[in-house]
Amino acid sequence: MRSTRIFPLALLAALGAGSTFTAGASEPSAGVTGQMAAQTCAGCHGTQGYIENSAYVPLAGMDKERFITTMEMFADGSRPSTLMGPLARAFSDEEIEAMADYFAALPKERPAKGFVSEE
Amino acid sequence: MSKMNRRTFLKALGATVAAGSTAAASAPLFAKKSPHVAVVGGGVGGATLAKYLKIYAPSIDVTIIEPKTEYQRPYGSSEVITGHETMDDITISYDNLRNTYGVKFIHDTVTEIDFTGHKLHTVGGQTVSYDRVVVAPGISFDYSQIEGLDNEADARAKGIIHGWDAGEDLLTLKAQLEAIPKNGTAIIVPPPNPYRCPPGPYERAGLLAQWLEERGDDAAKVIILDSKNGFTTDFTMLQAWNRLYKFNLPEEAHGLYTEEQIATFERHEGEPKVDWIMGAMGGKVTRIDAENMIVETEGAGTFKADMINFIPPLKAGRVALENDLADESGWCPVDPITFESTRHADAHVIGDACIAGAMPKSGYAANSQAKVLAVQLKALLLGGDVQTPVFQNTCYALAGNTDYGMFVADVFRIVDGEIIRVDEQRYLPFDAEPYMYSMSATYQQAWMKAFTKDVFG
Repeated sequence: MRSTRIFPLALLAALGAGSTFTAGASEPSAGVTGQMAAQTCAGCHGTQGYIENSAYVPLAGMDKERFITTMEMFADGSRPSTLMGPLARAFSDEEIEAMADYFAALPKERPAKGFVSEE
Repeated sequence: MSKMNRRTFLKALGATVAAGSTAAASAPLFAKKSPHVAVVGGGVGGATLAKYLKIYAPSIDVTIIEPKTEYQRPYGSSEVITGHETMDDITISYDNLRNTYGVKFIHDTVTEIDFTGHKLHTVGGQTVSYDRVVVAPGISFDYSQIEGLDNEADARAKGIIHGWDAGEDLLTLKAQLEAIPKNGTAIIVPPPNPYRCPPGPYERAGLLAQWLEERGDDAAKVIILDSKNGFTTDFTMLQAWNRLYKFNLPEEAHGLYTEEQIATFERHEGEPKVDWIMGAMGGKVTRIDAENMIVETEGAGTFKADMINFIPPLKAGRVALENDLADESGWCPVDPITFESTRHADAHVIGDACIAGAMPKSGYAANSQAKVLAVQLKALLLGGDVQTPVFQNTCYALAGNTDYGMFVADVFRIVDGEIIRVDEQRYLPFDAEPYMYSMSATYQQAWMKAFTKDVFG
């Protein structure tokens, strides 16, 4: 994928254009991962879904079916919301399932060190 | 192209083209055991990137180079002006990043970034080597388009404070607000697009009006002099002012909305407590006479004020401008998937300073970009493919009354190489139930804490 970068670099090198270059557009792997989708939640619901004493619901360790059902209810409006309805509608079923898997795999309690390494 | 191939290529480039330059040739042929990411700037973008990189790839060494030893958050900081928040409330320690996540700090100011040499230099004389540099410098202010103010220092000396980057300026604005005589006038001049915190100037107008009303001023007025004909939060904010501050929707704005939407606006008699002189009404400010507290507009006449909050046009932060990361627009072009600069290799720009398609310049956007970049840097430095990104932004705002909240919430994806907005409804509907506004205010207050913890906690 990043091989597209060779050509501008080589071209500029040939032209003696020094350190500046035009990056070719990166081409990512297909499909949004659970981690990628879930990290968008963290700005309100806490890093990895860990949050205490907040108006926002913790997501870490949430049962997979509960997460999916809740997002479906936000999306179809059967559960009233302020912004979760429009946000839920902007993710695909596959992405919602991937997010559900991500949060379900995390322990409900925040680990003593403060977070879960995702190496 | 794998990292190693790329490095090999760069080395070859250095050897064959840049003879005499040791810079490219000094790039390591093989990656060190622990790659090093230098992060220029410890604001929302830089801090989030550093923290998430340590969660996703703990073996990567991460150093934030930032002159300040603690952070003051600009988001929500207009509430300091009205006394709803204190400076302590918006001041955040870097201790958690350091102690919980193992992020290293150098409290110094970056001057030159040597892109080919993969190192940067500081005012304090330090040299920091990196495999990748993330530049998250925030914003700088451009006074060249306004008559009467030469530059930021001149404006400050004349008492014209933007208060758009937190700091002690907020307390100066607070003192200026408190010094407004009874039933006086405050003027707010929002910047042209694009700028940090799109709903912010309008929220600030409401907060000031609310403060003046609660002081007992029946006829105090906050006037927004704008070059633009619209802003983020849109009719939810205008509707709130109509309900709270006798604001009437200008005729010039009627074309922007449906009859059904306009019908939700009440027609008030008398002077509004918040007024919006939009671009179509000639509201663009051309000159500020600080000595006589007079603001001149392009076509709406001259205004006399007791307080002037002029927020000038913005550009990328100084480090980006001085190191050739910005283009002629004053902002930094980047690859939308990796946020790598299109001007310099192995340098990534995130947050307000970068050009990120449809994404706004907001804390949440910077945070979202930083997390995507953390995923990508892990792949770029440790191996693997870069990932398909998805981004989000949420901006909460208050109408002025701290029980009346609103928001914009968006999801962004990459389509045909551009970051575009993919959600349909982004605000509360124009006929939302009243409790939705109070819930939004509750979430706005909760967000300040939750978001800060996601970035720095």
